[in-house]
Amino acid sequence: MKNKDIASVSKHLGVSRREFLKYCSIVAAGMGLPLGTGEQIAEAVTKAARRPPVIWLSAQECTGCSESLLRATHPTFEHLILDLISLDYHETLSTPSGHQAEAARAASIKENKGKFILVVDGAIPVKDKGIYCMIAGRTALDILQETAKDAFAIIAMGSCSSWGGVPSADPNPTGATPVQKILTDAGIKTPVVTIPGCPPNPYNFLSTVLYFVTFKKLPELDDLARPKFAYGRLIHENCERRPHFDAGRFATEFGDENHRKGYCLYKLGCKGPETHANCPSILFGDTGSGTWPVGTGHPCFGCTEKGIGFHKPLFSKASLHMVTPPDTYPHVVEHQGKSALAGIAVAAAAAGAAYAAVNNVAKKLGDDDGKGKK
Amino acid sequence: MARIVIDPITRIEGHLRIECEVENGKVSKAWTSGQMWRGIENIVKGRDAREVWLFTQRICGV
Ligand code: SF4
Ligand code: SF4
Repeated sequence: MKNKDIASVSKHLGVSRREFLKYCSIVAAGMGLPLGTGEQIAEAVTKAARRPPVIWLSAQECTGCSESLLRATHPTFEHLILDLISLDYHETLSTPSGHQAEAARAASIKENKGKFILVVDGAIPVKDKGIYCMIAGRTALDILQETAKDAFAIIAMGSCSSWGGVPSADPNPTGATPVQKILTDAGIKTPVVTIPGCPPNPYNFLSTVLYFVTFKKLPELDDLARPKFAYGRLIHENCERRPHFDAGRFATEFGDENHRKGYCLYKLGCKGPETHANCPSILFGDTGSGTWPVGTGHPCFGCTEKGIGFHKPLFSKASLHMVTPPDTYPHVVEHQGKSALAGIAVAAAAAGAAYAAVNNVAKKLGDDDGKGKK
Repeated sequence: MARIVIDPITRIEGHLRIECEVENGKVSKAWTSGQMWRGIENIVKGRDAREVWLFTQRICGV
């Protein structure tokens, strides 16, 4: 890689060359890519012959998705994203209004047919022929169908476009529908990546775009089309309060002693055990350690997960999909090779332990538990 | 009398439409309308009051 290229980019972004490379390496590490990929990303960013054109459509949204992207406080962030892509249409950011804005969208589609990335934030209302979201006198439904079929790929940004989000909450007054469903119903086969979250973490969006720019393909996705690097694990698996959960230490009321001590928020309705996202690992809002909902003392409400966020009551308890059997941990004073389980037949131990664990956890999660520990 | 329609109004949050009538180079009448509705007022009806903030907070994310 020519230092000259990096030097000019880092100068443009207002950061040192070292910082720029470091940033690309952090992004690579966040996606679980091998060491050295950071350099590859930096190279792709600096050498990109042509910035990938992006059309950003907004439907039933609150603009929180765009805001989270633009307000990221990492100094290089919004520059990087805006320098990396050619944002040809975005209602909140476009300079021209009215028919001039619409003309820019039409021109970009024509010029970049099959090559542009379409980003959609907001759900698409389908009730009453889609009249609950109109742009330039046309329904969002109509515009999405028209634009989607010519896109290379679609990024559904945020929970609204990924799975319906807020507007789809019961009784879903406008028939708010996620992007993928609209495409499937219309027989449009353009691949969709979903970045759910309300708002989603901007780094998950940026990483997806950087991956695309570097490798010219989309990252590996789960069965809900979420990038595995970001949504591969439950919040509960990486939560800093997990030791409290395993030990049966729960906050039972906001502001009670256990809450102040930083105990697990499960009994206050935390949906971490059934929500997939990387919030505990990469945090949120760039304002230092502990800045993500659970870190600040509020239960996770499950915004990235269809059927959980805005659907399950906020203070109802999450279903547990996996329990750790704390009482089967090897005894801490055992010597190596002589753990508590070593003498027991493996199969019997597994079955027995799982039973004991479930029992045990069920006991610990009983309603009155934890209160006595205040 | 000319009638001008500007839709979408960009650089603001949401989907705004402005229509105006121009007479002798001056705007004589004008209408603005929000072009998107989610029915959040209907979504929060009958809900546990403690969770209503979660929905109303998403009216505008700016
Ligand atoms: S996902 Fe959340 S932040 Fe994004 S547009 Fe929908 S309500 Fe707003
Ligand atoms: S229930 Fe919530 S607060 Fe408790 S460990 Fe799991 S994710 Fe963390």
